[in-house]
Amino acid sequence: MTDILVHGAVTSAIYAMLAVGFTLVFGVARILNLAHGAFYMLGAYFTYLFATLLGLPLALAALAAIAATAGLGWAVERWLIRPQRDSSMAVMMVTMAFLLVAEQVLLVTFGSEVVNVPAFADAKFSLGGADIGGQQLLTLATAVAALAVLWLLIQRTRAGAAILALSQDPLAAQYMGIPIDRVYGRVVALSAALAALAGVMAGPFLSTSPHMAMPALTKAFAIVIVGGLGSLPGSILAAILLGYAETAVAYLVSSSWTEVVSLAAVLLTLLLRPAGLRGKRAAF
Amino acid sequence: MTHIPHFTRRAAVLAAALGATLGAAPARAQGEPPIRIGISTAVQLQIGRDTRDGAQLAIDEINAKGGLLGRKLAMVVADETEDPEKGISAIKKLTADEKVDAIVGGYTSGVVLAQLPHIAAARTVYINVGAASPAINAKVKQNYEANKYIFRIGTLNSLHLAGGLVSYMTDYLHGELGMKKFAIVGESAKWVQDLIPVLKRGATAKGLDVVMAETFDTGTTNFSPLLSKVKNSGAEYMVVILSHASSDVLAKQWYDARIPVPYGGIDVKGQDTDFFERVGGKAVTAVAGNYIVRAPLSPRTLPFLDAFKARYKRETVYTGAGAYDAVHAWADAVARANSVQADAVIKALEKVDMPITTGRLQLDDTHDVKAGPGLVNMLWVQWQEGGKRVILWPREARTGDFAKPQWMQ
Repeated sequence: MTDILVHGAVTSAIYAMLAVGFTLVFGVARILNLAHGAFYMLGAYFTYLFATLLGLPLALAALAAIAATAGLGWAVERWLIRPQRDSSMAVMMVTMAFLLVAEQVLLVTFGSEVVNVPAFADAKFSLGGADIGGQQLLTLATAVAALAVLWLLIQRTRAGAAILALSQDPLAAQYMGIPIDRVYGRVVALSAALAALAGVMAGPFLSTSPHMAMPALTKAFAIVIVGGLGSLPGSILAAILLGYAETAVAYLVSSSWTEVVSLAAVLLTLLLRPAGLRGKRAAF
Repeated sequence: MTHIPHFTRRAAVLAAALGATLGAAPARAQGEPPIRIGISTAVQLQIGRDTRDGAQLAIDEINAKGGLLGRKLAMVVADETEDPEKGISAIKKLTADEKVDAIVGGYTSGVVLAQLPHIAAARTVYINVGAASPAINAKVKQNYEANKYIFRIGTLNSLHLAGGLVSYMTDYLHGELGMKKFAIVGESAKWVQDLIPVLKRGATAKGLDVVMAETFDTGTTNFSPLLSKVKNSGAEYMVVILSHASSDVLAKQWYDARIPVPYGGIDVKGQDTDFFERVGGKAVTAVAGNYIVRAPLSPRTLPFLDAFKARYKRETVYTGAGAYDAVHAWADAVARANSVQADAVIKALEKVDMPITTGRLQLDDTHDVKAGPGLVNMLWVQWQEGGKRVILWPREARTGDFAKPQWMQ
């Protein structure tokens, strides 16, 4: 039972970091940014590049990886998304193309094998009988801190007020003098940074390979559908639900069935509550 | 099956040798196009790169000795990835466009099975060096005329692997180390689901206790629940059956949580020579079944490993050895048949009996490599401190003793 509690919390934390950025972009810009899975992958690969290949200290490498991915996110918004923003289909296609190109570039550069992203912590901890690696515990703590910072940023800062305003009424926000292009750019960069953070933290113990982007994207998509597109609390709630459901299924039934959980949850949500758990409320 | 009289084979070899010595060969070599060997493999993986490089090494050795039937050998590579569609395209490219005389390659059984009809249609000898499914060679017996082109040299089929694994569990882990309780975990793939009952039967027949047997989705990246279950099952050893990307992640999470159950088994990625380094040393004490490691398995083993390392500045995995052996075995058959024509080569290859890098090569009536004492054997090899590899089993090949994880000492 403690095993389910502890490992479920870690899985939920990674899912929350992945899904929150994805839903944030949808909530504010009303677009589905399918490049999101690539940002998760790039976070892990940049850390590997900076720390292992270039020999930077790990903390610096991780910060540089997050900054580089955020910069790429900003560039994706500026040059790929913005020219297509009027067509949601075009945005989906161009961001998916970015993800596929990123996968191929990493495949050709680093090969298709799993790479070893260095971990911040190597010690083992026992929490009430459940054995857990230090890096996994640190991932949980980081996710909680990152989500708290995100909440403060949105609720307590001027930049956050602009994001909120845009999510509620883009036209009115524009009339109030909010530079919407700049805010959209920042939101995609912020969302990329969160996905990269998930990659930096989970990369050392989950699989870091060119094949990690698509499963991450589909997982984020599933969580956001269950939580309600555009709802941050909904996404966090859905991440916790799916994280725990998958862990419980792995423990109580079989690890073969874990991947079915999120698909079943999506199907049930679309049938029973198409707007998701929190989809009927305002974006935040 | 017609048998070529022994004197004819000898005469053919002698004639080829004489031809080369008397200088007739260089004249033909200049005039005739090279014999082309196609390589169809997953070039992005070490498995694939080593297939290509092992074959190239053999081709260069043969060319250095004057070529084959007075002609030089040349190699053409096609990337089959791990996708059956791309695998079929690779075979079509090699046979229809490049018109190769033989194909060496294969890694994923699903890809090879998809390629078989296209290989048969092209009537080109195909030597599989990496895919372990018995279903591949079963086709030879089902329809000899159509599928006689299919051979396996290199990897053993998964039934032989199961036999080797049962022997490692019952004779070594139980017989020598006294372990009794086993957990079996593997990828949720057809060949694994077929293998688990065989392992269970073999283990329980010798009085072992299989306390847990579970498969996981091939997309699984979080093994924490599975590893906790293994720990709580009371198992003394975790037998794994892994062929794709999960090995690295499993090793790391096993080490991170210091699971007090040592593990090992059929672990294809765990055979990679850079595996230990790739997981930051976290595979320490993990055991992976292998065919080739630095030990005198045959007179060819050490010279091959040295030549490969000198040429490519890295160690090879089993497909490098398999491809090297496949090219030499095929060339030997061509020399004996005195022809590159498929039917003649097939007849000669069926009678192959020669030392190869992993032991001695003989083929059964499904064109599959024979396993057993004096032939090719599965070796159970443990990663130890510093990335050293030690053969634990079979006894006659042993190079060191079993080491427990440091948190269990």
